[in-house]
Amino acid sequence: MSAPETGIALAPCPADLVELVAFRERAGDLGQLAAERGVRLPGPGELVAGPEGLTLSVRPGRWLLLSRPVAAGESARRWAEASRGRCAVADLSSAVAAFLLRGPAVGEMLARACRLDLEPRAFPVGRAAATIMVQVPAILARLTPGMLLLTPATTALHLREWLVQASRPFGLALASDATVSELCKESST
Amino acid sequence: MRGPARIGQGLLTDPTRRIGFQFDGAALEGLAGDTLASALLANGRRLVGRSFKYHRPRGIVTAGSEEPCALVDVIGAAGREPNRLATTLPVSEGLVAVSQNRWPSLNLDVLSLNDLLGRFLPAGFYYKTFMAPGWAWERIYEPLIRRAAGLGKLEAIVGDHAAPAEIVHDHADVLVVGAGSAGLAAAEVLGSAGLRVLLAEQDVALGGGTLLDPRWSAWREETCRRLAALPAVRCLVRTAVLGAYGHGVFGALETLGPRESARFGGLRERLRIVRARRVLLACGAPERLIAFPGNDVPGVMLAGAALRFLRCYGVAAGRHPVLFVNNDEAYETALALADAGVRVAAVIDPRPIGLAAARAQAAGIGVLAGACVTRVFGRRGVRRVRVAAPGAADRIIDADALLISGGYTPATSLASQLGGRLEWQEGIAAFTADPPPAAGRSAGAARGLCGLATAAENGARAGRALAAELGCALPPLASGSAPPPDRNATPLVPLWEVRSPGKAFVDLQNDVTAEDVRLACREGYEHIEHMKRFTTCSMATDQGRIGGLVAGAVLAAALGKPLAEVGQVKPRPFAEPVPFAALAGGEVRGHYKPRRRLPLHEWHERSGATFVNTGLWLRPLVYSRASSWEPVLEEARAVRRSVGITDVSTLGKIDVQGPDAARFLDFIYANTFSTLAVGRARYGIMLREDGMLFDDGTTSRLGSSHFLLTTTTANSAAALEHLEFHLQAVCRDLDVVLTDVCDQWAQFAIAGPRAREVAAAVIPGLDLSNNAFPFMAVAEAKIAGISGRVFRISFSGELAYELAVPAAAAPTVWQAALEAGRPFAIRPYGLDALNTLRIEKGHVTTAELNGNTSADDLGFQRMLKKSGDFIGRTLAARPALTAPDRLQLVGVRPVDRAQRLRNGMQLVAPEARSSSLGYITSSTPSVELEGWVGLALLAGGRARIGTRLVGTSPIHAESTELEIVSPHMLDPENTRVRA
Repeated sequence: MSAPETGIALAPCPADLVELVAFRERAGDLGQLAAERGVRLPGPGELVAGPEGLTLSVRPGRWLLLSRPVAAGESARRWAEASRGRCAVADLSSAVAAFLLRGPAVGEMLARACRLDLEPRAFPVGRAAATIMVQVPAILARLTPGMLLLTPATTALHLREWLVQASRPFGLALASDATVSELCKESST
Repeated sequence: MRGPARIGQGLLTDPTRRIGFQFDGAALEGLAGDTLASALLANGRRLVGRSFKYHRPRGIVTAGSEEPCALVDVIGAAGREPNRLATTLPVSEGLVAVSQNRWPSLNLDVLSLNDLLGRFLPAGFYYKTFMAPGWAWERIYEPLIRRAAGLGKLEAIVGDHAAPAEIVHDHADVLVVGAGSAGLAAAEVLGSAGLRVLLAEQDVALGGGTLLDPRWSAWREETCRRLAALPAVRCLVRTAVLGAYGHGVFGALETLGPRESARFGGLRERLRIVRARRVLLACGAPERLIAFPGNDVPGVMLAGAALRFLRCYGVAAGRHPVLFVNNDEAYETALALADAGVRVAAVIDPRPIGLAAARAQAAGIGVLAGACVTRVFGRRGVRRVRVAAPGAADRIIDADALLISGGYTPATSLASQLGGRLEWQEGIAAFTADPPPAAGRSAGAARGLCGLATAAENGARAGRALAAELGCALPPLASGSAPPPDRNATPLVPLWEVRSPGKAFVDLQNDVTAEDVRLACREGYEHIEHMKRFTTCSMATDQGRIGGLVAGAVLAAALGKPLAEVGQVKPRPFAEPVPFAALAGGEVRGHYKPRRRLPLHEWHERSGATFVNTGLWLRPLVYSRASSWEPVLEEARAVRRSVGITDVSTLGKIDVQGPDAARFLDFIYANTFSTLAVGRARYGIMLREDGMLFDDGTTSRLGSSHFLLTTTTANSAAALEHLEFHLQAVCRDLDVVLTDVCDQWAQFAIAGPRAREVAAAVIPGLDLSNNAFPFMAVAEAKIAGISGRVFRISFSGELAYELAVPAAAAPTVWQAALEAGRPFAIRPYGLDALNTLRIEKGHVTTAELNGNTSADDLGFQRMLKKSGDFIGRTLAARPALTAPDRLQLVGVRPVDRAQRLRNGMQLVAPEARSSSLGYITSSTPSVELEGWVGLALLAGGRARIGTRLVGTSPIHAESTELEIVSPHMLDPENTRVRA
């Protein structure tokens, strides 16, 4: 999985996605639970890659965990079992579509819909933010290999169509799936 | 030889590339790099349009976006686009432009008669005349006036291509507006300090005033080269900053060059929304006119514009021009024209001989000091000018162009929009404005400074100050060509108006004369903003940039006040015309709004569904392309007689978890949820704070502190917001987590007498018998091998099971259910059939939950809990919300079963048909009952059950006698859902 030298490569990123939310009085319990499972919980607006997958936070006290897809609901079930009520667990694997955008023109293309300052100095690797793009909610996170984009599944096609159209003037390549394992590996090297 | 012509090489034109274009049907030729204005002048054209009100002949006055007269219609493949500025419109091969506001031709315009009737058409004449008869204003006078006045014609949607424009978001540490000597110097300093700089220049090239002085070529080129080498500096040409919106947000319009346009599929404009920590305003100072009779005759042009036409396009505005100026800078035009071989007839200067005048005389140019132009001869072009000087006889000078300059007015629009205060500068007889320090600075001519070297030095200093404010180390001074020094100049003497018989215009675009301004003053419109609105001075595309201050000076003289006290018109965005397409950006047509697609969208599409937009969702309405009711009724009949399956994934779904989840729901809902057992669902209603019904749905208890709340499709986003607001602002002590899981779960309803058999086949591990899984039971189960949830709830009035599975597994489960239902002839049913079923049963939806109904109106009064607080409790107790004459939910059926009902039909008493008692909210042909059935909101409805009224739809000329019945028209005992 290499970034194109020019233009933009757009790849789907199939992943299981679990949301963990700390109950108000039990934030420490969630930290403990994550530590037990070898997951580091980043601060708001940050993303970290670990052996379990990618973890990001765009709202205080809430974390999204992206991991390799397994059976439907299985990742969330494991977290729910392990949490034993210490935090809220919600399976969002089907609710969210993930894409990886790579290439030198990604920032310039995204500036056509995204109000965030995505210049690498302002939005470096490890930064994550929630925003609106073409009237659709989106989460952007910069990884070493490229920009991760999460968006609600039912409007994902709308956003994808826009991404494809907006990328064409820069040179668009539709790439094969980007796996969470590869993203984690590339992000940690 | 008379008139304008191309006499040499221009900085921006390519003499090797000839471009063919048309103007008013004539085939003409220009050069690559020409604007339409420069190309027309090169072809000897002085007359290019007719004026707004008087239809006076008009020519080209400026060389930029401040142009008031040279507006043309451009006719392209997509239609006729009005009001393009000839002074900024690049000439392209095949361009077709036509002049505006004339009939039958530019040379012979019938409505130029208005000019002769001018004394009857002063400013605001239409406020005082055409008063009677009253009816004639809208029908006769206004249409006639509108037809006679105006500029171009819009005859088609312009820019109708795939992506007419786009919006781009830019970020910078400093936005530098204007790339003259001040802007370039500032950008270099800021970029060298490592700051991200966005340099926006509205011209096609960087340089501003340096483009007009060959001594500055080396400095400009070297500076541009150094800027290009600075990675954090972006230079945008053809980019006009249109407005400042506070908090560092600016709007800018970029007009794409041919190459960029081709790369972006024919895109023409790009609206840039710039967010910057600071702004540096180096946007220069447009030249201003002098008001004197005939200052609008074609051939009268600003001196600076004539210099630009000469330097940039190699075009002389005239071969025998006269200049009428009050400042030394304008003499550069006379010297440059003379140097290019043009015979300058004279320079008229109201001042005594000064430094520039002496230089002109040394160059062989005659200067008439202490004199003014009092009249221009010629109607379609300047022929002669009359010059008057105190103590001397008037002189008539033969000329083919009159180049004027009344001084320079610093561009203060952006600074004013940022909150900068106007300050009167006596030395330049103009206002300046600095933005507040927290927003940025102004520099160069925009700050009221004269001379390119002075501006460059000031720009560099402003750049260093901004860099220091932003915490950057000051860079060393740039090495390279020293800027040429400014020439010493004699100070300007203000000259606003030369009073003499004839129309002296202060606003050429709106045909506003100095006399109109005095009239406004006499009429009591003494404030400059009132004068603007009375006369229309400083409105429209040019925003009075070349004459607005002159109008202010005329007003000040009429009031006997200093101009500094009168001020100038407050500028608002946009500073320049902006196409609507640019504001809309790319979110048009297919991208106008997002479409939410169901997880099974492709299956529905393959199965012949007709889709309907409900909010953002695309929902299957019916599995048929036929427009009749029959397919709908077949689907509904399958549910009533055997079994059907429908996709209800659009329902809002909110996951509610936390130790206080039950308490929170007790507060959100008007009925109680804390008593709900795990594994059970309950129908609930929510009220707004004002006590009116907000939404309804079922909520299931999945665990002791875990609920799944469903909302109506239409209200799903609003309901989530409602919950979030109350959780964060009202119930701050409650420990609850809300997660929107609408997209996570696909949900299908299997409904009908055979539903249990079908559901059991796909949920083998769950006992669905009535005892084990009664009405309103909920369980987690494997559904066709997928982990999901089963709800025994019904919206159709039939035995029903709703199956929820992760959306990704939807096709598997849906297909399994269809297979299981095949022996029972299962049918998918759409929204129309769903409506038929729920109307028969008397279930409400958004047609009845319309924001105006109370719980009592819809028969939910008994659901409001008696103890404990909930949203809307207090105001729901208002007697008015339970008044017996309120609109209440009832069922309606036509007495004559062959008659149809319509949504919106008014309910009236047979003896008082002009007084509405209510209306039908939902109606459908019934599958179980004979004929049509409907739900209605009827005044005192419950008391009228059993009576008859008339349903009337005047726009359809229909009237039907109706029976008023209970809304629960089918199975009121609920035996079917509990079967």
